[in-house]
Amino acid sequence: MIAKHLLWLVLLPWLFGLSACGSPPPEGLRFAIASAPVTLDPRFATDATSARINRLIYQRLIDFDSANRAIPALANWQQLDERHYRFQLLGEPVFHNGEPLQASDVLATYQSVLNPATASPHRAALKLIESMAVIDSRTIDFHLNRVDPLFPDYLVIGIVPGELLAAQHPFNTQPLGSGPFQFIAWPEEGRLQLKRLSDQRPITFLRVKDPTVRALKLLNGEVDLLQNNLPAEIVQHLAEQGMQVERRAGSNFSYLGFNFEDPVTGQQVVREAIAYALDRESIIHYVFAGGARLATSLLPPSHWAGHPDLTPYPYDPDRARERLASIGVDREHPLTLSYKTSNDPFRIRLATVIQQQLGEVGIKVNIQSYDWGTFYGDIKKGGFQMYSLAWVGIKTPDIYRYVFHSDAVPPNGANRGRYVDPVVDRLIEQAESAASQQARIAAYRALQEQVFNSLPYVPLWYEDHLSVARPEISGYLLSSDGNYDGLIYVQRH
Amino acid sequence: MVNFIASRLLSALVVVLGVSCIVFLFIHMIPGDPVEVMLGESARPADREALREALGLNLPVLQQLQHYYAGLIQLDLGHSLHSSRPVLDLLIERIPATVELALASLIVAVIIAFPLGTIAAVRQHTLWDQGAMGFALIGVSIPNFVMGPLLILLFSVTLAWLPVSGREGFASLLLPAMTLGSALAAVLSRMVRASLLEVLSEDYVRTARAKGLSEWRVVWGHGVRNALLPVVTLLGLQLGVLLGGAVITETIFSWPGIGQLTIEAIQRRDYPVLQACVLLISLVYVVVNTLTDLAYGWLDPRIRLGEG
Repeated sequence: MIAKHLLWLVLLPWLFGLSACGSPPPEGLRFAIASAPVTLDPRFATDATSARINRLIYQRLIDFDSANRAIPALANWQQLDERHYRFQLLGEPVFHNGEPLQASDVLATYQSVLNPATASPHRAALKLIESMAVIDSRTIDFHLNRVDPLFPDYLVIGIVPGELLAAQHPFNTQPLGSGPFQFIAWPEEGRLQLKRLSDQRPITFLRVKDPTVRALKLLNGEVDLLQNNLPAEIVQHLAEQGMQVERRAGSNFSYLGFNFEDPVTGQQVVREAIAYALDRESIIHYVFAGGARLATSLLPPSHWAGHPDLTPYPYDPDRARERLASIGVDREHPLTLSYKTSNDPFRIRLATVIQQQLGEVGIKVNIQSYDWGTFYGDIKKGGFQMYSLAWVGIKTPDIYRYVFHSDAVPPNGANRGRYVDPVVDRLIEQAESAASQQARIAAYRALQEQVFNSLPYVPLWYEDHLSVARPEISGYLLSSDGNYDGLIYVQRH
Repeated sequence: MVNFIASRLLSALVVVLGVSCIVFLFIHMIPGDPVEVMLGESARPADREALREALGLNLPVLQQLQHYYAGLIQLDLGHSLHSSRPVLDLLIERIPATVELALASLIVAVIIAFPLGTIAAVRQHTLWDQGAMGFALIGVSIPNFVMGPLLILLFSVTLAWLPVSGREGFASLLLPAMTLGSALAAVLSRMVRASLLEVLSEDYVRTARAKGLSEWRVVWGHGVRNALLPVVTLLGLQLGVLLGGAVITETIFSWPGIGQLTIEAIQRRDYPVLQACVLLISLVYVVVNTLTDLAYGWLDPRIRLGEG
């Protein structure tokens, strides 16, 4: 009897209490995301979701235009000499606690990032900063220890209040910035609430991992908007159900990577055969439902340093067979390759299609899919013949040094395939030390041609960004890098 | 009884310590480096080493294990390598959701399984029996990742009665509980049937019938209670499974429980969180099994005789 009463004592508050909690205010907007942000402290954010949400809460010194050129955000700048930059704050920026954002806050933010004790993942990219000096409340100087014309491009860390930094404020859970959105609450990992300052409208980010469930929540009116990570079939179904589907060309670069130390994939002829054997247009048409563009280079053609004149490798299985025949490979004597990928179902599906297409020309592919940590660990160690991955959020062409320079073999960079090409090394150095922007562009284009021809990567595609919104939602503008800045303008009617 | 409980608790403690040690060593053997995950590929070797030192990951594994146990004694499970939050906070945040879902699933399973199993046993070899066992077969055969979306389609999208996912009140609990509970109900109803059939053929049941008791009293008074032993064992084991986190169901329904936390910790190589999750899960198993053993004694006094 006592047990029965105790049971009711437990169940009653649960039945009546919980049913009221957690629902957003009716005027609020709900945005479904596939993964929750890891941290709301811009000094530590590296994952895409954290970076995108941090952009809403904090402002940074610079931003990028559609060609990925650095443009002023919080500040404009002058290059006083090769190693000396002066940044001057624009307007009257104010933190969400009412305090003005000043040069001393910029200094404190970057000093904190550069402090080894902070263990910020962004420290390495900023190691060229020799010293900083506040000139006045609106002006700060950066002195570099080496020449780097791309320096302003690196100043994308959200600025936090210096006073709070000194007081060791927990920005990761209680962020305070000067961006268009103010933090309200983060009651659980998968539910983050912000407030849009322009009209005080609350916006809730809801983590819904499963893409099918995310789509069903949208159909059911439990979320208003979602972006990316949806299979093409589901997108088509949502469109048929009257949801608004928007697409924008993206710059995330998918590729097949090769191990140059492997006796098989180290051969140029094998990599060329693979490039010709892949029917990427069909993959884009059938698997992505047209939601991607053929890629030729790590930087998209629209990038200021991109190469608009590279022509993709055509689908030519006969030429692929010819290449393979030259090393004695045919249907009776097939080549066997291992292909590593993550255990993401969509990536495995793509791997299966590629396996079938390579099988057509006499390359037998064994797919090995692993959880992310194992897969990534193997790739960095060079424990692969062929793998697929994507570069996400590339803004600056210095990525070429990081990925293809012979000095950049892990752990010193991301030259995972142990690709060594003196021509590429020379062109990277030439681009970095170019005297003018024109010369820099020319060097980067020559570099991309060389990489395209020697095939350390077979370029696959740039996946489009995609947003799906309920019919009553308007004004969400997709960005080319997939950020959530469109939330600044979105409305519900 | 006191000796019985004491010996159970002692062996439980040994099991938990053993499991935590094995898990600690295994986690440090799997490929993947948490420092890489935190700092990214572009970090300088010096920065990597500095962070490794700050996190204590540069120490020999046995020394790390020693620190881990020293913290454990003070209930200090460390900080998440990923979010820097105290691991204990993360667990406390997730445990209520897991307990809610586990209990609700168990209730759903019992509500379905007991009547179904009893009807099947009492009406053996009839259409009732075949129907109930057919239902059980379907329940066992449909995996959660199919059952979950099917229930969502029916109850959320078509009928618009229940929310699709999330943890926003009692209504949002029903679908995940039905998903987990239906699979468990299927297994449980077969167990109830088999156990009840065995008991109903016992001499004392024949005696009860000969005394003129109604069939209702024979089945419920003499049959079901005696048939409960194996069923309780199964329930105990299943409760352990449910409290350990139902990863697939939690993922489908965005249910913020221990299962999701464990999977995320594995993917991120977040050693402290993963260790704490596994420790919690093993603790749950041990406690549930101990309680199951004690429930045996309550249900069948003959078992208590074993203590002498």
